[in-house]
Amino acid sequence: MTPVIALSLFGIINLFLGFTFKRQSLQVVTLLFIICSMALTAMDWNHEYLWFGDMMKTNNLSINFSLIIQLAGLLVVAFSNGFGKDEVYTQPAEYYAILLFSLVGALLMVSFQNLIMLFVGLEILSVAMYVLTGSDKRNLRSNEAALKYFLMGSFATGFLLFGIALVYGSTRSLYISGILYNLSHTAPESLPSFLYAGIILMGIGLLFKISAAPFHFWTPDVYEGAPTIFTMFMSTVVKTAGFAAIYHILDVTFGGFQKNWIITVYFITIITLILGNISAAYQQSAKRMLAFSSISHAGYMLLTVCANQPSTSSNILYYSLAYTLATAVSFAVLMVVAEYQTGRTEKPENFDALNGLAKNNPSLAFAFTVALLSLAGIPLTAGFWGKFFVFTDMFNKNLTYPIIIAVLMSAVGIYYYFKGIISVYFNSGEIEKIETSFLFKIALWSACIGTLVLGIYPTLLKSIF
Amino acid sequence: MNYQPSDFLPIFVQLAAAMGFIVFTMIVTHILGPRRSTKLKDEAFECGIESQGDARTPISIKYFLVAILFVLFDIEIVFMYPWAVNFKQLSWTGFWEMAVFMGLLLAGFVYVIKKGILKWEK
Amino acid sequence: MSSILFIPLLPLIGFLINGLSFPKLSNPVAGIIGTIPPLAAFALSLQLFLQFDGNTQIVPLLDWISVGELSIPIAFQIDQLSLLMLLIITGVGTLIHVYSSAYMSHDEGFGKFFAFLNLFVFFMLLLVMGSGFVTLFIGWEGVGLCSYLLIGFWNKKNSYGDAARKAFIMNRIGDLGFLIGIFLLFQEFGTATYQEVFEAIKAGNGSNLGLIAFCLFIGAMGKSAQIPLFTWLPDAMAGPTPVSALIHAATMVTAGIYMVIRANVLFEMSPEVLHFVGWIGLATALLGAAIGLFQNDIKKVLAYSTVSQLGYMFMGLGASAYTASFFHVMTHAFFKALLFLGAGSVIHAMSDEQDIRKMGGLKSQLPITYITFLLGTIAIAGIPPFAGFFSKDEILAHLYHHDIVMWALAIVGSALTSFYMFRVFIVTFHGDFRGTQHQADHLHESPIAMTLPLIVLAVLSVIGGIINLPAFVGGNEFLAHWLNPILPEGSHEALEVHFASLEFLAPLAAAFIPAIFAIQLYGSKKAVPAADAEISGIQKIIYDKFYIDEAYNFLFVKPIQFLSQFFYSFIDFLIIDLLVESTGKFVKSSSNELRKLQSGNIGFYIFMMVAAIAIILAWTLKSWIF
Repeated sequence: MTPVIALSLFGIINLFLGFTFKRQSLQVVTLLFIICSMALTAMDWNHEYLWFGDMMKTNNLSINFSLIIQLAGLLVVAFSNGFGKDEVYTQPAEYYAILLFSLVGALLMVSFQNLIMLFVGLEILSVAMYVLTGSDKRNLRSNEAALKYFLMGSFATGFLLFGIALVYGSTRSLYISGILYNLSHTAPESLPSFLYAGIILMGIGLLFKISAAPFHFWTPDVYEGAPTIFTMFMSTVVKTAGFAAIYHILDVTFGGFQKNWIITVYFITIITLILGNISAAYQQSAKRMLAFSSISHAGYMLLTVCANQPSTSSNILYYSLAYTLATAVSFAVLMVVAEYQTGRTEKPENFDALNGLAKNNPSLAFAFTVALLSLAGIPLTAGFWGKFFVFTDMFNKNLTYPIIIAVLMSAVGIYYYFKGIISVYFNSGEIEKIETSFLFKIALWSACIGTLVLGIYPTLLKSIF
Repeated sequence: MNYQPSDFLPIFVQLAAAMGFIVFTMIVTHILGPRRSTKLKDEAFECGIESQGDARTPISIKYFLVAILFVLFDIEIVFMYPWAVNFKQLSWTGFWEMAVFMGLLLAGFVYVIKKGILKWEK
Repeated sequence: MSSILFIPLLPLIGFLINGLSFPKLSNPVAGIIGTIPPLAAFALSLQLFLQFDGNTQIVPLLDWISVGELSIPIAFQIDQLSLLMLLIITGVGTLIHVYSSAYMSHDEGFGKFFAFLNLFVFFMLLLVMGSGFVTLFIGWEGVGLCSYLLIGFWNKKNSYGDAARKAFIMNRIGDLGFLIGIFLLFQEFGTATYQEVFEAIKAGNGSNLGLIAFCLFIGAMGKSAQIPLFTWLPDAMAGPTPVSALIHAATMVTAGIYMVIRANVLFEMSPEVLHFVGWIGLATALLGAAIGLFQNDIKKVLAYSTVSQLGYMFMGLGASAYTASFFHVMTHAFFKALLFLGAGSVIHAMSDEQDIRKMGGLKSQLPITYITFLLGTIAIAGIPPFAGFFSKDEILAHLYHHDIVMWALAIVGSALTSFYMFRVFIVTFHGDFRGTQHQADHLHESPIAMTLPLIVLAVLSVIGGIINLPAFVGGNEFLAHWLNPILPEGSHEALEVHFASLEFLAPLAAAFIPAIFAIQLYGSKKAVPAADAEISGIQKIIYDKFYIDEAYNFLFVKPIQFLSQFFYSFIDFLIIDLLVESTGKFVKSSSNELRKLQSGNIGFYIFMMVAAIAIILAWTLKSWIF
């Protein structure tokens, strides 16, 4: 698990570089750090290693998840522009360091072999996120969001910890391997009832992180309040890591107890799909719409967790990647437009603020459109195949009703995603040419092209995953 | 080892005794104590001096920073105790691990100083 | 191996460079960047051709989609057929790129034009190199798109845009049939790669072969402009002339013929469809030739001539004369590209005048164009020993043995062809100049970049016949032997032809007599086609293209418009407004209600969470609790 060590060290180095380096060079250095740790991650390809007293295991699955998470981190750093022109009130060195630390947490969450490691990873990630959410110190919304996120997050962590305790109490082990061993050597009748409560509570702790309904209430408020760049981070990294952990807990570790948790997760999935999509339809704020869209995508990904097929892990990977690329691009475009519109319109993050973007900024408009199409699941984008694979799994499992709901909800999704496209292309508005940095352009285009390439040629990665 | 419920009896006795004492003293002081209420006595914070202003005044962030840093560095000592006790068994591995730990802590300390958090006047 | 991948890749790179840097590159640079890829691809194809050892080569590129049972690979197949197509596309393509660099030199969209041309070459190569129907279809759609873009290249004029749309829509109708054919293939065989499908058919598997062949042929009808989907091709002349030469004469429109030859195994299993193919071809050939008789727009004449020649090719296919048809594809690529480019040269000299009634006597000013156009005319008329004679004669010879009625009608068509081509030639180049003084002052021979392709193509049109010189005149029938491995066994039997037979003499008469008649009428008597208003009687009907466009308009467009009006006023109101919109409204209002859950009150949030957890736990542990 060299990347975990490397990223921690990089984070500390970053803190000190902040004293001497300019903010723009800090951005470049951080990018290099992440690329370096991605290389370290990829070096373990096709090997299985146990780390830290067998508390972590890296294999191809965890490496794939790690790479997607770090790719998301890379995109976020590239889109961050060294945190703009506000020299006084932003501290890029600290932000980047915290980003790196939270990546460490996410990596722990995808490769844990011990429930304590899961908890530690989740906490590293979450605490970092609480801080970043409130990083816009002069903004009341940001402060409120941070506090809300912290309160509810610690509440959910409590449930996770309680669940871990109950599972430990009934299986006498914190190691996944030990739990599996003890479960397979105990007669099902003699398993204590609180084991099931433990599984459910652990699941709830994690479902909170990926904002599944009815544990999603924090999401819109927090996503809207946090600075957009960190919202981007939250919606990509936390979600991917959360799903890796959910898959590991529900499908791998407690897959044998599927009949005990499946109904619950079903209902959560369906409520998530309905609430996420329908609430998104009315939003006037594009940022808030994306928050609800993130809830609804959690619903689609939960579908494949429910199906629990051999292809589930690869489906989650594919969906996460497609979702990460599209979300990062849409938040990035929203961010620069909102920056431009601040002071010009009252609500710079509303759909109205995007009006007429295509006129003078065709590339931003195009990228935004591709991203929204991918989120809506229109063919020739990665999002389409993500949904397609998920639905295929459901069909293989004969789960017809959830599919019907999911398909209906995708139709609702098209409505609100196209609202963005309409305001970009068809509504008239005055937006001058927005200057973006070189790194921003590179990141925007590579994510955009990635979305299209994966949409045209899904097997490219599906064969690796 | 199998515990019978009866084995827990002393604990319950202890619990009952403790609670009984508290309840008993509270009731008894209420009954026995004399009651003379004055305006000053009914104030929220009764200390003999008239209270002034609002309790919720902003306090300099430095108070919190110093306090939390104190807690942070103080708590790390907790790890040192078991380490020191088991120093021989842990041998060099343990030494290097603790060195890394202290190194990280030291890095944090240097960072704190360079950030100027401990400079009170600024 | 790797060079195979470069053949389609190079034009794609050319497209990307020219397309992305369109207004910034200067015209000469864009021209060079645009011309090198097809030239290099031609060199690579030639190398492949010379090194070809007779074994079909499959180059797997990627596994495009693999979901469950369905797997669609994308691979290139190099065999006898695709190699020849590669040579035609890249060879003629290169010449036309060179030609365009001069022809389009004054155009604002020069770089864009080359980008589109390169993209077209890429898709066309994909079409012929693909190892399965899916890859073929990608190329098929791609060339359709490029054709659309290039027909409407001068999109400032509305009618050009309409022509582009017409081409696209007509092609889409055909493509729908093609797509259904591919779906049926998947349903029947679970795959659409040539080798697997054809092996399965040879092994006697699969039913519905007739239906599949028919659906595929519908696609060919659209792409190769056969009745009833042919009216887009004459309109497609709105595009720049090099485009007409490359796309609408030499390459894209022959894709349908290529596809039928490629799928000969399938078509051989369904003789009734082949029969249909033959008669459609015949009807198209006659109709095209007849309309061509009295057209006065030089490009329109050539367009109808293309329609008619394509009809000949399909006739050949209908008689299972695959080699002959392919032979005609090749020679037609030479002489029709030549004629179009010659016409382009004339139009260029005449300052964009296309009406032959306003030309005349151009032979002295445009000597190279004159000679090369003459050679092209002789070739298409079927006068020996030019290329067109051999290829057309071979189709006719097969028809003679296949169906004597078809043969006789084809001879009539051949006579018409000879007449209208010589008519155009004489009226354009001989007689007195009938244009304005301004045009007369500007008459000039085209630059070398335009005349060179003309000369090369003229040489090919003259000697192209040797590719498949029949045995009875001492040839070795190279093409027949070359294509033999991929064609059904026994499809090529050496036809015994006697010099003195009707079979041999009738086509000759059909070539010579109308030619002499046309020279007499328009050359010696100096007759000039009448102005539009003076045309009457049956000639007017023909001149107005048998009113087919109007008939289509009445039969299809009007009813569809009526239907859409009906849908708009009733169905739209009933279903869209009431049903769909009320669904939308329902979603929106429920969204509005659900939104209120998001109160921002953290106490409420946590309460909801705890309530949910309580319910979930109660549900999970119900068997222990109750």
